[in-house]
Amino acid sequence: MGANIIDGKAFATNVRRQIANQVQRLRDDHGITPGLAVILVGEDPASEVYVAAKHKQTIEVGMSSFEHKLSADTSQEDLYALIDQLNSDPAVHGILCQFPVPDHLSERDIVARIDPAKDVDGLSVVNAGLLTSGEKGLVSCTPLGCLMLLRDQLGNMSGKEAVVIGRSNLFGKPMAQLLLQENCTVTIAHSRTADLPAVARRADILVAAVGRAEMVNGNWIKPGATVIDVGITRIPHPEKPGKSKLLGDVAYHEALDVAAAVTPVPGGVGPMTIACLLANTLTACQRANGLEEIKDLTA
Amino acid sequence: MNAPLEDPRLLRGKPVKDRILREVADYVRSVPHIGKLVSVSIGDVPEVAIYIRNQARAAEAVGLPFDQQFWDGETAQEECKLRIQEMNDDPDVLGVILQRPVPSHINVRSLQSAIHPLKDIEGMSPASIGNIVYNDVAMAPCTAASAVELIRETGLNREGLEVVMVGHSEIVGKPAAMMLMAEGATVTVCHHMTRSVAMHSRRADVVVVAVGKAHLIGADMIKPGAAVIDIGINQVRHEDGTVGIVGDVDTEAIKEIAGWVSPVPGGVGPVTVAILMRNAIKAHQRQQEAGWLNI
Repeated sequence: MGANIIDGKAFATNVRRQIANQVQRLRDDHGITPGLAVILVGEDPASEVYVAAKHKQTIEVGMSSFEHKLSADTSQEDLYALIDQLNSDPAVHGILCQFPVPDHLSERDIVARIDPAKDVDGLSVVNAGLLTSGEKGLVSCTPLGCLMLLRDQLGNMSGKEAVVIGRSNLFGKPMAQLLLQENCTVTIAHSRTADLPAVARRADILVAAVGRAEMVNGNWIKPGATVIDVGITRIPHPEKPGKSKLLGDVAYHEALDVAAAVTPVPGGVGPMTIACLLANTLTACQRANGLEEIKDLTA
Repeated sequence: MNAPLEDPRLLRGKPVKDRILREVADYVRSVPHIGKLVSVSIGDVPEVAIYIRNQARAAEAVGLPFDQQFWDGETAQEECKLRIQEMNDDPDVLGVILQRPVPSHINVRSLQSAIHPLKDIEGMSPASIGNIVYNDVAMAPCTAASAVELIRETGLNREGLEVVMVGHSEIVGKPAAMMLMAEGATVTVCHHMTRSVAMHSRRADVVVVAVGKAHLIGADMIKPGAAVIDIGINQVRHEDGTVGIVGDVDTEAIKEIAGWVSPVPGGVGPVTVAILMRNAIKAHQRQQEAGWLNI
């Protein structure tokens, strides 16, 4: 009711516009076009949708998009040969391999093969280590997107109590590191946490990334908190048979009564992910060319 | 006369160090051949002499060859990097220790990154830290791992344990937080911008302090029965003019409240060198798995 609804879709549009301006400037001033290479192994229908969306938005901001669709039985050697070639290709600034990959390939080894300076998903151990050490690396896209929304909402976050629910490598851990970098006092809570509601209630900034629909009730939320909902669960639509509905980790309507600001699902964090992938590609390109990077678009 | 009874509340590092060194020595005896540890000091840094001596002693105790190298203070960054890369390729080098501080013209982070992760027994390179973040905690930064080792020593179940870290340094606070979280603890990281450290530390089952401020944590900041791990090392001048080492924790006061407290000196410190040796045998195992050693 009272809470401000954080419009991630509109914010992501602004981010992409900012990126497009930078891409234009890179071309005009330096004759450089940032390039993103996406590798898809096999024919997972959901992955095809994601890859198509990434391709479309990459083109829209004026970057080069290189799609590499490989058959499901592609050998590790052939995949690595492609990654090596992209690593040394000066027109490619970002490389990502769409997961999941077929069982005979190792996601971890694929990520390790990508040059950390081109790892725009920010998943390699080197980038995880750089973030922990407070050094320049590339940051996983969804946490980076959440950080941008929080900065926009709150400005200076120094001294605020932040609680991240969920300790995944992909999200919870990098999110916690980013909040520490902003000088928040950070707690990472998870399935083993003794009193999850009590921990959540401490938070000025509450980030939920568990994947359990509406787990965070209104009474888990401190009045006036900023709530970022990263969870997505698809359920059968209660009124429309045959249709489905997306729910977040937060009981949205309850949160609206208590929090100062809340991200909806869908339309909150989700749209930021591809925008941040493009932001990382721009940053990687600027670094590769010794050019200044854009502060708003990086951690 | 009997020796005075040891205060059971004090978490002493010495027995833990001795136990780990015994385990390492057993391992070293069990393998037909093992490479050497190389300690690299760049320039004349008298303050690291004591650390090198401790490391050399521990290496000797477990039967690991220890090569002390002293490179000229004028050695260029590129040259240092080349020498480290040679060690990466040398099957007879088991692990590399880069002593700090280094001369100002040396970029220490870049040199640490040059050490191959499988030879980075100090656990300092970005890839090593990243492995910790991803729950591969075999070769962790020594001080962080020592703190975790002392917490294990209390016998407290880490699942659901409330841990509060005071201090968010890159080589201690953050890696230790990640390691404890991997074991199921709920970890809160506090620092200089935290509004009320006491509010957090008073509800914690375990408080780990790594700030570098003498006696920052007093008895009023601790929950009765908690474990307190003190990583601070501060030089202070006592009232009688003598100089001594104290931690970040007021040990004497806290002893009356806490269930366990690690003293300074004699708590975390002695364990670190044992962890360094344990990292060395982990390195040996990893290098073997990677097919680097043909034994």
